[in-house]
Amino acid sequence: MNTKKWLSTAVLVLIPACIGINFLGKSFAEALHLPLWLDSIGTCLAACLAGPIVGAICGAANNLIYGLTLSPISLVYALTSAAIGIVVGILANKGQMRHIKGAILTSILAGLVAVIISTPLNVIFWGGMTGNTWGDAVYAWAVAQKLPMFIASFFDEMVVDIPDKIATILIVFGIYKGLPKTLTSLYQSNDKIENLND
Amino acid sequence: MSKITVTNLKYKYPHRDNLALNNISFEIQPGEFIGIVGENNSGKSTLCQSIIGLVPHFYKGGYGGSVIIDDIEVYKSDISTLCKKVGLIFQNPFNQVTGSKETVFEEIAFGLENIGIPRDEMIERINFSMKLLDIEQYKDRNPFDLSGGQMQRVAIASIIAMKPEIIILDEPTSQLDPAGSEEVFQAVTKLSNEGITIIMVEHKIEKIAAYCDKVMLMHKGELIKFDTPSEVFSLDNLSDYGINPPIFTSICKKLNLRKDDNNYPVTIEETLQLLKKERSYEQN
Amino acid sequence: MKSITLYEYKNSFLNHIDPFCKLLYILAALSIPLILGVSVTKLIFIAISIFLIISNKVFKKVIPLFTFSAIIILTAIIIQGLFYSNNKHIILQLGPLKFYKEGLLFAYHIALNVLNILLSFAVLIFTTKPTDLIDSFVRVGFSPRFGYVLSSVFQIIPQMSETMSTISDAQKSRGMESEGNLFTRIKAFFPLISPVITSSLINTRERAIALEVRGFNSTTKKTFLNQQTRTRKDKIINIILLLLIILSSIWRIITCLK
Repeated sequence: MNTKKWLSTAVLVLIPACIGINFLGKSFAEALHLPLWLDSIGTCLAACLAGPIVGAICGAANNLIYGLTLSPISLVYALTSAAIGIVVGILANKGQMRHIKGAILTSILAGLVAVIISTPLNVIFWGGMTGNTWGDAVYAWAVAQKLPMFIASFFDEMVVDIPDKIATILIVFGIYKGLPKTLTSLYQSNDKIENLND
Repeated sequence: MSKITVTNLKYKYPHRDNLALNNISFEIQPGEFIGIVGENNSGKSTLCQSIIGLVPHFYKGGYGGSVIIDDIEVYKSDISTLCKKVGLIFQNPFNQVTGSKETVFEEIAFGLENIGIPRDEMIERINFSMKLLDIEQYKDRNPFDLSGGQMQRVAIASIIAMKPEIIILDEPTSQLDPAGSEEVFQAVTKLSNEGITIIMVEHKIEKIAAYCDKVMLMHKGELIKFDTPSEVFSLDNLSDYGINPPIFTSICKKLNLRKDDNNYPVTIEETLQLLKKERSYEQN
Repeated sequence: MKSITLYEYKNSFLNHIDPFCKLLYILAALSIPLILGVSVTKLIFIAISIFLIISNKVFKKVIPLFTFSAIIILTAIIIQGLFYSNNKHIILQLGPLKFYKEGLLFAYHIALNVLNILLSFAVLIFTTKPTDLIDSFVRVGFSPRFGYVLSSVFQIIPQMSETMSTISDAQKSRGMESEGNLFTRIKAFFPLISPVITSSLINTRERAIALEVRGFNSTTKKTFLNQQTRTRKDKIINIILLLLIILSSIWRIITCLK
């Protein structure tokens, strides 16, 4: 596998840093008892800085590593994390992450994609629940209303994911705006060396 | 033949308008110990990085002129080829650790694994460089559990193990305490004695004066002067470039104590010699 | 430095087994029940995993994993037992709560799934050094550059948690609110986290340089400091596991054809 051509060293180093950032966000959210996960800040930053493919790799690698070390459960959601990276990366490439309106649009789309992908996974693996108290309460309510399990699970995931992604992307937006141009240009692989000889 | 030949080197970082390096030319001979001084943003680090090919291959941007190491032209080569000839050590010891290895021993092996050194030779080289840098006792420690000075010595050992012919140190002690700095300077002296060509950017001007064969004075991307320490530090307009001369040079300037070549001394030894000479004149 | 991994060296049988054997075991534990479509096989694999975990002296570390799965299973029992859409036959009545047979059966299958996945992974995770696992992938042709990405995460995360505790201590001593109502806590989040994120992004530049100057992109064939040998024991285990997967597929095909 030749990765050299399309992944520069700077981008490769960005990936573990962003996985670390995911972890940091998650830990702070837990420490402050926030009802959000905030565990994809790094993935979204990687996507903004280096595009959808890197965002996807970052998301998938993130869950792969957690799955193989701390909690096997997260392995299941590698697909969701990768999809979030792709969505944010595509929208950032289109310049949506440069203004607040675009950021909110990005966050809602990312949230929806996360819900669409996680729901079938929840259904296949755990009968449709998320393990989040708020979400599972909605799930219980929906199932009690005789709604199909799939729909109940969809609501469950939505209650959890949409607010989480909005908060995440707003944080990413705040940080991304403040990064120096010399740094952000490092991750753009398409730059060429210009000739300065007279 | 010169070890390093730089001709009309120009460089501009991406998304910037000003030249970080402006028409620089010089030659460095094998085994020389070169110091680089200048204010912040005078182009010292950029110059260092142009010798190992980070400029332009890592940053891209605009490039003109040439840098030639032995017979390799940096522009036409790449970093993974150049790193076998040139080693780079920079300020932050923390960021120089690869961050993927769990022991100092494995950390030093990282570069050797990458360039495909056979296992037996690898172990030999690691042991040699650990001994040279006096870090054998940390062999099995996690690199991140070491102090700044120790970490910086691990970084140097990691470069030494790759057996480069040129070592560039870009402010290697600026984030270290006095004890840590001293450890690093002693290590660098050892390397110089081994015959390795050394280029060092350093703010501690006394150290430059004491160790270097020649000094480069840089200002706003230009090479102002490249000469012996006493020649450079005796410049009348040195302060225009944001540089204070070594303490003994300042004293001798005030006292108008000049050496035979009309320059001021730069170290305590030179000053003492000069004073002894003066005294013996008076006694005669 | 504190390690994030659940691995602990116990000089046990599984510590000395090739990581690939354990990966193959996970594959077998997950695929065979799926191929055969018989849930008893899940029970068998759960039993094998528990046996392996206990006999390799890592049972204590697995307990938190059990508590985690217990929560999922308990919620499943309650929600599915009460509300599962195919519920028909009441099996248990506690006051106003009616538990149905179909829902409980469904919950039982969820429980088997959860336990089988968690425990078979536990066999690998609790007995394998992550860097060994990554190295064995790189040896069989996985990109060493990706190998770097994975192994550096194991170093970065403990550093991050150290940074995090330093920051929260500093912020607390400055009187920043980390308790209080939801709004104050949300407001506290950004100033806490953004400097760390920004500096860790800025650090990537130097880290990348450090790798470059150590031949990270070299095209020469990589060599390894740590030797790894696959013993006969490893090979036998691999063959047995592969045979089991193949045999169960054959059995399934035959029964389908009948």
